[in-house]
Amino acid sequence: MLSVNEKITLPSALTNKRFRSTMSSRLSERGMVFLLAGCATLTIGITVAIIFMLIRESWNFFSSEYVSLSSFLFGTRWTALQSAGRIEDAEFGILPLLSGTLRVTIIAMIIALPLGLMTAVYLSEFASERIRSILKPVLEILAGIPTVVLGYFAILVISPTLQIFSSSFGTFNATSAGIAVGILCLPMVCSLSEDALSAVPRALREGVYGLGGTKLDTSIKVVIPAAMSGIVSAFLLAFSRAIGETMVVALAAGTQANFSLNPTQPAQTMTGFIVEMLKSESEYGTVPYYSLYAVAISLFILTFSMTLLGQYIRRRYQEAYQ
Amino acid sequence: MSDLPKALVEVDRSAELNRARRRQQMSRWFNLLCMMIALLSVVVLVVLLFTIGYQGWSSIDGQFLTTAHDPEDPEKAGMYPAIMGSVLICLLCAATALPIGIGSAVFLEEFRPQHPVLKWIHGFVQLNISNLAGVPSIVYGLLGLTVFVYMFQVFGKLETNHVSGVDFWGIRRYYQIISLDSSSTVLVPVTDTSESTFQITEPIKGFNAQERPIQIEVWKRGEPRPTDPEVLSRTVRMNARGGLLELKAWYYFRLPFGPSFLAAGLTLALVILPIIVIASQEALRAVPPSLREASLGMGSTQWQTVRNVTLPAALPGVLTGAILAMGRAIGEAAPIFVVLGGNIGKRTGPENLMDSVVTMPILIFGWSELPVERYRQLAAGAIIVLLVILLLMNSVAIYLRQRMKPTAG
Repeated sequence: MLSVNEKITLPSALTNKRFRSTMSSRLSERGMVFLLAGCATLTIGITVAIIFMLIRESWNFFSSEYVSLSSFLFGTRWTALQSAGRIEDAEFGILPLLSGTLRVTIIAMIIALPLGLMTAVYLSEFASERIRSILKPVLEILAGIPTVVLGYFAILVISPTLQIFSSSFGTFNATSAGIAVGILCLPMVCSLSEDALSAVPRALREGVYGLGGTKLDTSIKVVIPAAMSGIVSAFLLAFSRAIGETMVVALAAGTQANFSLNPTQPAQTMTGFIVEMLKSESEYGTVPYYSLYAVAISLFILTFSMTLLGQYIRRRYQEAYQ
Repeated sequence: MSDLPKALVEVDRSAELNRARRRQQMSRWFNLLCMMIALLSVVVLVVLLFTIGYQGWSSIDGQFLTTAHDPEDPEKAGMYPAIMGSVLICLLCAATALPIGIGSAVFLEEFRPQHPVLKWIHGFVQLNISNLAGVPSIVYGLLGLTVFVYMFQVFGKLETNHVSGVDFWGIRRYYQIISLDSSSTVLVPVTDTSESTFQITEPIKGFNAQERPIQIEVWKRGEPRPTDPEVLSRTVRMNARGGLLELKAWYYFRLPFGPSFLAAGLTLALVILPIIVIASQEALRAVPPSLREASLGMGSTQWQTVRNVTLPAALPGVLTGAILAMGRAIGEAAPIFVVLGGNIGKRTGPENLMDSVVTMPILIFGWSELPVERYRQLAAGAIIVLLVILLLMNSVAIYLRQRMKPTAG
C-alpha cells in the first residue's frame, strides 16, 4: 500500500548528483569529433601518399636518359628484366605488358560478366528461397577464396584441361590465367548486379505481369534496363579488379612479355612484371627498378579511372524510384 | 459495325494462344538456362575443393603443422612459421585498421556537417574511400615498400648485411666472448656500433650470459689459471676477440622498418581499411533512426548517442565486416610479397616487430613455384589449412549475422 509518509525513491542519477559541467562535456564532444575526423582524413592521406609515391618514384624512371615517354607509351618491346646490367640495351615499351593484361582481362570478362549477370538475374528474379539459401553462401565462399589459391587451381586444373582441347596451350598461358581471374570476378559481378536488380521496385515488375508479360519479359525488358547503371558500374569494377589482379597471373600467366593477342601464349601482365622484378632482387635505385613504378602508375591510372567512371555512371544514370 | 481497332476485331484465338504458350515456353527455357549458369559456380567450387583436397590431403599431418620449410627435403617441410606469421599479422592488422576504420565510418555516417565546405570535404572523403577500395592491392604493396620499408631512403640506403637507420628501443648490443670455462660466454656492451668485433685487452665491467653485471677478468698465457669455477666463468683470454650479439625484445623498433613484420602488417592494414570502413558504414546505416532520435531527445550529445546507442546496436554488423576483412587480409599475398619478397626459408614465427615473417599465401606461392612435384602437393596441403581457417572465420561471421537479424528489424 502506498502511504504518504513513505519516502519517494528518486532515480539513481538524481540521488547520486554526479552532474558534469556542460563545458567539459562539450569539450570532450569536440575532442571526439576531431579524433573521428582525423581518422577520416587519414584515408585521404593514404590516397595522397599513393599518388605522391608513384609520381616521385616514376619520375626517377622518366627522367632517365635511356627512357622517353613516347617510347614508353608506344614501344613494342619490354626487356627490363632480360638486359639486367646493360641498361643501354634495355627497351621500355609498355605495350607488351598492356597486351598481356588486356588478354587476361578480356578472357576474364568473357567469363565473369555474362555468367555473373545471369546468376544475378536468376537469384533476384527466379530462384526460390531454398535455392537462394544454397547459392548465396556458395558465392560468398567463392568470393572469399584467396587469389593465390585460384592461381594454383589454374596450373593444377585449368591448364591441363585446356591442353586436352588444344595442344597449342602451354602450362603457362593467358587463357588459363584469364579463366581463373574470371572465376575470381564472378561473385563480385554477381553480388553487385544483384544489389542493383533488387533495388528495382516491385511495382515495375507487377506492372509487367499485369500486362501479361512473362518472367523473361520482366527481367530482360524491364528489370535489367532499369538497373543498367548499377550493372555497368559492377562491370567496370570487375574490370578494374581483373586488371589489378596479381597472384593468379604471377602463377599461371607466364613471364614472357610478348606483344601479341594470342590467348594460347604466355602473357606477362603489368602486375606480373612487378612481381618478377621484385623476385629478381634488382638493386634499388637502378632504371629497371624504377620501371616498376612506371608500370605501377600506369596500372593505377587505369584502375582509378575505371573506378571513377563506374561511380560516375552509377550516380549520374541511377534511376531514382520513390 | 463497331469502330474497334482492327487488332481487337480480328482476333486469331489459336494464334494468340500459341504465341502466349511460346512465350511461356521461352520464359521457362530462360529460367532453366539461368539456373544452369548459376549452378556452374557451385560446380566450380566443388571441383576446386575436390581437386585441391585430393592433391593435398596426404601431406597434412602433425609434422606438417609443426615444422618449417625445408629446402632440401620436402618430406620434412612444414608450415608452422607461416601459420604463426599469418595469425600475428592478422592481429596487427586488426589492432591498427579496426579503430581507424570504424572511427572513419562513424564520422561519415553519424556526423553530417552543415557547413558547405565541411559538407564538400565529407563527400570527398566518401568518394575517396570508394576509390581506395578499387586500388589494386599490389599498389598498396608498393606504397608499403616505399614508405615503410625504405622510407624514401631518408635514413640512408638500405642494403643487405649492413645496418643502417636509427634504432629507437628494444635492442641491446654486446660483443660476445667465450670465457675460459668454454661452456659460458661473457658480454661486453657495445660503445661504437660501427665496429663489428672487439678485442679485449684489460679487465672491464661487463655482463654474463644472463645479462647480470660482472667484472670481466683477463688471463694472460703463463699466469696461473683461476681455479674457482665462478671466477673461471668470467675470465677470458688476453686479446680474445668477440663477435657482435644483438638481443632484441619483441617491441624492438627502428626506422626505417625494413622488410619486417611491422611493415607487412601496416601495409595489409592499408589494404583492408576501405573494406572495414564500407562494411561498418553499412552496419551503422542499418540501425533504425528512431533509436538515435530517442537518445538525442533524452538530451545526449551526438558522441554519447554514438557510444551508448548506435555503436552497440551496429556492433554485430561491424564485427561481421571486420571478420570478413580479416579473412581478406589472411589470404592476401601480393602486398606482402612486395614488402617482404618471396623468401619462405624462415624457421620461426616473427620474434619481434622488425623480424621478417612468412605468411601462408606466400608459402603457398613459393611452394607452387618450386619445380619439385612434392612441394606442389605440400602447397595444396597448405591451401587446405588456409581454407579451413578462412571457413572458421566465415562461420563466426555468419553466426554473428544471424544474431544481428532480430535487432536490425
